[in-house]
Amino acid sequence: MNSLERIAATIKFQDADRVPVIAQVFGHAASLAGVPVDDYVRDGKTLAQCQLNALTQYGYDAVFSVMDVSVETEAVGSTLQYRKNQYPVIERYALSLEDDWDALSVPDPQQAGRMPEMLEALAILRRELGNKVLVVGCVVGPFTLTTQLLGMETALYLAVDDPPRLEHLMDFATEVIIRFGLAQLQSGAHLPIVFNPSASPAVIPPKFFREFELPRLRQVFQAFTEAGAVANWLHIAGPVGRILPYYPAAGVDIANFDYYVSAKEARNELPATCLDGNIKSVAFVEGSPNDIEAEAMNLLRGFRDQGGFILSSGCEIPPESRPENVAALVNAARVG
Amino acid sequence: MSDSRMNNLVEAILEGDCAESVSQVEHLYQSGVSSEHIVIRGIETAMTALDAKCTLEQFNLLEIMLAGRAVTEVMKVLYPAGTAPMSTKGTVVIATLEGDVHDLGKNILKMVLIGKGYHVVDCGKDCSLQKLMDVTEKERPLAIGVSGLITPIIPLVRQVKEQLLLRKLDSIKVVAGGAALKQSSSDHLNVDFVAESAFDILHYLDGRTGEK
Repeated sequence: MNSLERIAATIKFQDADRVPVIAQVFGHAASLAGVPVDDYVRDGKTLAQCQLNALTQYGYDAVFSVMDVSVETEAVGSTLQYRKNQYPVIERYALSLEDDWDALSVPDPQQAGRMPEMLEALAILRRELGNKVLVVGCVVGPFTLTTQLLGMETALYLAVDDPPRLEHLMDFATEVIIRFGLAQLQSGAHLPIVFNPSASPAVIPPKFFREFELPRLRQVFQAFTEAGAVANWLHIAGPVGRILPYYPAAGVDIANFDYYVSAKEARNELPATCLDGNIKSVAFVEGSPNDIEAEAMNLLRGFRDQGGFILSSGCEIPPESRPENVAALVNAARVG
Repeated sequence: MSDSRMNNLVEAILEGDCAESVSQVEHLYQSGVSSEHIVIRGIETAMTALDAKCTLEQFNLLEIMLAGRAVTEVMKVLYPAGTAPMSTKGTVVIATLEGDVHDLGKNILKMVLIGKGYHVVDCGKDCSLQKLMDVTEKERPLAIGVSGLITPIIPLVRQVKEQLLLRKLDSIKVVAGGAALKQSSSDHLNVDFVAESAFDILHYLDGRTGEK
């Protein structure tokens, strides 16, 4: 089985030759190649080459064209600050409460901000890897983009002070995400993962998730499915236990879970959905290969009789992670 | 000791209702209740109730931010610009360290500590170690609170206690929180306490000051 076949079988809870392993390697691929992270997130060719190098070194089952979580907001008009060897941060949000949001237009992924660079990276990765390895693009979730357009605090207060206005902006965010995701699929992504940190129950109550975010996630995933995505992958970190039961209604095929949620709880909440997780990100920086191996073996044992599991970290493997720790994760899946 | 005159204020704060919170405070004020009493029996009671409600499973920023916003508005009424609130429990210096601009967690901590009667000196985000130490030397706080959403600031966090020692300020406690830092340990970060939430830091400080 190649990586893509292994993942496709696992998503359907069918037999695979081994448990797939997906290390969430983004900026770490740049660190590995000695490329500054701020260059990596701005140049599609560099990103693709670093991802291919990391794949050769580690031999896991997926590559990512993931820059950071500010690609969409920059394309709409936010100003980012790029610092040496770091992910960019938002310096000025695209929108304020005083703006007329009716005048907003959805950015063209072929032209806006760094979107074309990400599409180029996807085209290179797919050309090089074909259907052997999963090629993953990335969009942020509707509420996450809303908080990235307006600022987290302003968006959260708006949710209470003027819910219809917030929903109006979330609808715009949904359009931006769908258009960008479809362009990624056309460029070669097998699927765009949906990163949604602001939709975590650490930030918003589950009721808010159900009423505001869930219907829009459903729209996003439906559009991706219709455009040929091989699966729908939702990534929300933090204590997601209480929102996991809503994932099937959103059309989620792969559910990421972080270290906050135990493997047992995640499986109880989602008995028929493929899970990926959940080793602590910081363990790849501070821990040893033995630590990672022990965590990985524990997860593999827990899921042995169930299937539907992809061995992974709970969130991003930080850029400064120790390479031997990433290797230990991959090795665990091979021998486990 | 509870004070039933504060019930409406406590409820309004917990619901995050700014206008009602301010209206309740004005009403209490006009009835002759002192600012200090409103803080201790009203605001602190509300924060204690919020603390009890915010377990790991139930915690969300939205609820705390709304209550925090109501508290901030109430404090503006109680202590108009220029009239500094009395500090009943001591000073805490807080910062999001250089390289990290994600300061929401720090802002939440500020709201919680102010709401529970601490004096908070906020060094802001992307704060250099030099600035943090200069402010600490001037303020001589009970503790320093540092927050971090991203892992690259960990090496800087590890230097805080070393810098305090160099300035002979090593009796000051260092507490850490935030998505990246809370995955680590106090030993690895070289701090006195790693908190899961803002309320964890409050409990730690209350433990140091003898508050319950």
